[in-house]
Amino acid sequence: MKRALALALLALLAWVAATDAQSRFFDGKTVRIVVGFSAGGGYDTYSRVIARHLGRHVPGTPTVIVENMLGAGSLIAANHLSKVAKPDGLTVGNFAGGLVLAQVLGQPGVEFDARKFEWLGVPSREACVCALTKASGVTSLAAWMAAAKPVKLGGVGPGTSTDDAPRVLAATINLPIQLVRGYKGTAEIRLAAESGELAGGCWQWESVKSTWRQALESGDVSVVLQITTKPLPDLPNVPLASSLAKTEEARQLINAGVIVPTEIGRLYALPPGTPADRVQTLRAAFVATMRDPEFLADAKRSKIDIDAMGGEELARVVQDLFKLDPALVAKLKGILK
Amino acid sequence: MLIGIAIGFAVGILPGLGGPTTLALMLPFVFKMTPVEAFAFLLGMAAVTNTTGDITSILFGIPGEPTTASTIVDGHPMAKRGEAGRALGAAITSSLFGALFGAVALALAIPVVRPLVLTFGSPEFFMLALLGITFVAALSGEAVLKGLVAGCLGLWFATIGLAPVSAIQRYTFGQLFLWDGIGLVPVTIGFFAIPEVIDLAVQGSSIAKVEVGRLGGVWQGVRDTFTHWLLVLRCSAIGTFIAIIPGMGAATTQWLAYAHAVQSSPNRERFGRGAVEGVLGPGAANNSTLGGSLVTTIAFGVPASVTMAILMGAFLIQGLVPGPSMLTPAPKGHLAVTFAMVWTIVVSNVITVAICFAFLRQLVKVTEIRGALLIPFILMLIAVGAFAEKNVFEDVMIVLVFGALGWVMTRFGWPRPPLLLGLVLGPLAENKLFLSTDNYGLAWTVRPGVLALLAVILVGLLWPVVSRRRQRTRDGADAAATPRAGPGERWRLDGASAFSSLIVVVFGWALWQSRDFGVRGGLFPWAVCVPGALLGLAQLARDVTGRRESPAPDALADATDAVPADVAARRTLEIALWIVGFWIAIWLIGFSLATLAMTLLYLKVGARERWGITLVLTALSVAFVYGLFDKGLGVPFPSGQLFVWFAPAGGS
Repeated sequence: MKRALALALLALLAWVAATDAQSRFFDGKTVRIVVGFSAGGGYDTYSRVIARHLGRHVPGTPTVIVENMLGAGSLIAANHLSKVAKPDGLTVGNFAGGLVLAQVLGQPGVEFDARKFEWLGVPSREACVCALTKASGVTSLAAWMAAAKPVKLGGVGPGTSTDDAPRVLAATINLPIQLVRGYKGTAEIRLAAESGELAGGCWQWESVKSTWRQALESGDVSVVLQITTKPLPDLPNVPLASSLAKTEEARQLINAGVIVPTEIGRLYALPPGTPADRVQTLRAAFVATMRDPEFLADAKRSKIDIDAMGGEELARVVQDLFKLDPALVAKLKGILK
Repeated sequence: MLIGIAIGFAVGILPGLGGPTTLALMLPFVFKMTPVEAFAFLLGMAAVTNTTGDITSILFGIPGEPTTASTIVDGHPMAKRGEAGRALGAAITSSLFGALFGAVALALAIPVVRPLVLTFGSPEFFMLALLGITFVAALSGEAVLKGLVAGCLGLWFATIGLAPVSAIQRYTFGQLFLWDGIGLVPVTIGFFAIPEVIDLAVQGSSIAKVEVGRLGGVWQGVRDTFTHWLLVLRCSAIGTFIAIIPGMGAATTQWLAYAHAVQSSPNRERFGRGAVEGVLGPGAANNSTLGGSLVTTIAFGVPASVTMAILMGAFLIQGLVPGPSMLTPAPKGHLAVTFAMVWTIVVSNVITVAICFAFLRQLVKVTEIRGALLIPFILMLIAVGAFAEKNVFEDVMIVLVFGALGWVMTRFGWPRPPLLLGLVLGPLAENKLFLSTDNYGLAWTVRPGVLALLAVILVGLLWPVVSRRRQRTRDGADAAATPRAGPGERWRLDGASAFSSLIVVVFGWALWQSRDFGVRGGLFPWAVCVPGALLGLAQLARDVTGRRESPAPDALADATDAVPADVAARRTLEIALWIVGFWIAIWLIGFSLATLAMTLLYLKVGARERWGITLVLTALSVAFVYGLFDKGLGVPFPSGQLFVWFAPAGGS
């Protein structure tokens, strides 16, 4: 009897200790955000602002630090998160949303299964727009449709919106486009557009807005098209690409090929197999951070937009990409190869 | 700004740790500063690293920065001759001039820069890259054939990674880290630093082989700058104006300036053996580059380099949008800020130079320290520096590979600079070629800018030929043309031939691999590998038949003459084992522990130093790696493989 009691007591103690350890797991720990891009860039800036505030919203207030793991358009970081990082809730990955589509399309180099990541969320739903110079003569969608020669757009490389958006647009809504690939970044595309080499390009509105602000204000550059589900608050009168789509298939291609990958562009994930309670803790902390006034003030100072998507929603969006009709996937593969 | 200068100073001196690396490491701190502080800090730091980097290059023959590698070629031989003071004096003074020139150019260019740069399209950029590549010949010293092969090799290395247009994988062996190509930082470090470490160990002495005179003639170096003021001015101009082109940073301009210094000198054969002009040119150019890159960053928001990209981030945070408004006076624009930058560059350079002169005496003494004490320290910095740029362990391996290549090349008298120039310019040339044809069809070839640059290239190529022929007819005797009779006409199958044939094999293999790259991905590899293979064959024929060129004027060509061959071979093997051992240790037990073990063992067992000095130095280097980098700067060193393999199950 005594023995049974002692055993029960011991079991109880162990259980209490275990739950206690769980709730205090993050006590004095360090959470690393592994960013797949270089220090000083957009991804890095978001991660560092988030890192300054996330810890406060996790029980045990762990220290949150940012590490940059460069290479292959963040594919190295994504593979690392899947294969190397310990699933203990102490490593968070930040890589490009386009990589999920890369897996769906079976592109080389992908060594992760996006369906198995535990998704934390996206701090800012991005949207892709096409901005063209006045000098190119294309200042409206009508002028673009009527252009005699294909309009030259600059591309950085496959998997980026500068490359993918023009291809999808050319294939779905028959816009006259000549994609010129090989620019080193959107900054070089801007330069080439200003020198008259290109007409412009398509990439994230947030970046266009801040880096091309003066030209937009003076009217030297205008946003002609937005590739979004609904008009952006900043651009109420710019036509939507999907409104030009004649078929349901074209609409779906635009959605899966451009809108979704851009929207979930800056995603945050945990390694596959992270314990569910820690996933929940961190997801809640992510959402709480996104609403934290101090965080928002800091984000404003750092000139980054916040329009967050939580982990559950992000997980659904990712799963949906895997439910695409195989015929549609094959078609998209052909467009984006 | 002062803190920035101080850090930049240290970083510049430490080999392996480059400006961009440090900027990346310092970013967490930058975020905590006010934007104005941040920006003075970053610019102050960036302005200084090129000057102090020159110091390391000259003293140790190890590039303090990837952008100061060219100062090694002539500066280090000077240090070996005991003329470190003169070389340093020349480098520092010319750096100051270069920086001032760059700053003034930045200020003067402000009204004209936008129209000027906008007349340049991809075709003109391509021609400029091509012009740069033609400088390979001038960088080859006396071994022109080897130089051309090395240049091709560099261009070929540049094709590794994802092809810029078709995004096809080229020579990546399925390795993701090769997708982005081979990084310039690990290549430069490995290429120059590892052979130098080996040399230091083989010599078993201090760096200066000759007793250093009183300060080694710093004032002589300062005077040299003024004697060659025209050269310094021209090289500063090269630095500034080339840097205005996006994608051309100091890593390129230094070599172009060096090549220019060689070309414009009446007696080229002194170069590579310690010609002071070879220090002055790049010294000026790598500093004047900052002004030039700032022009593109400010006027267009196109960061010309990593440093600039980070600076641009700081701009945006401050609410400054790079572009025309940076060039318009207040109240409409921020011209005042731009001028503040000009002043920051000027002031930080003047301060640095003053500090440099104050400490020159101590710096020169470093060359008299026993090599054995320096080796573990240098090796540690090499490994850390290679890793910290991108936080990728594979880069540390690249250092080793290129270290071996660099060593072999110095052994067999192959000039190294052409390879680096090819590596830097290759991607630019390939990219701009396709952008030109995609944008303009073939019409780009008749753009006035392109034709003008073509004329410049042709003149540059033909002029030396013509002038040499004229000189030769004047001299009458045709001595240079008759090949020196080698020791008999016997066939030689030694290391040199083996290396040449290896190169031919590599080019052949690369060609074979490129068969399914398609035109867009394959054009450039074909254009590089075919001449590479042919020239390599020619070199092989020379090696095998014994008709060899005199050794290239490289820093290490005369390295081993003081030590008997058998001792040298034994010491080479030893140091090679130490290096490889250190690398394996890093892999197995991580950076901090490996540094501990390596420093301790090397000093005690390898160099048989006393316990006192061994322990002090070991503590120092561990404090450096663990305290400063691991804890202080938060460099995410990977944990050793051993700990990964034997990690306690379920532990977290």
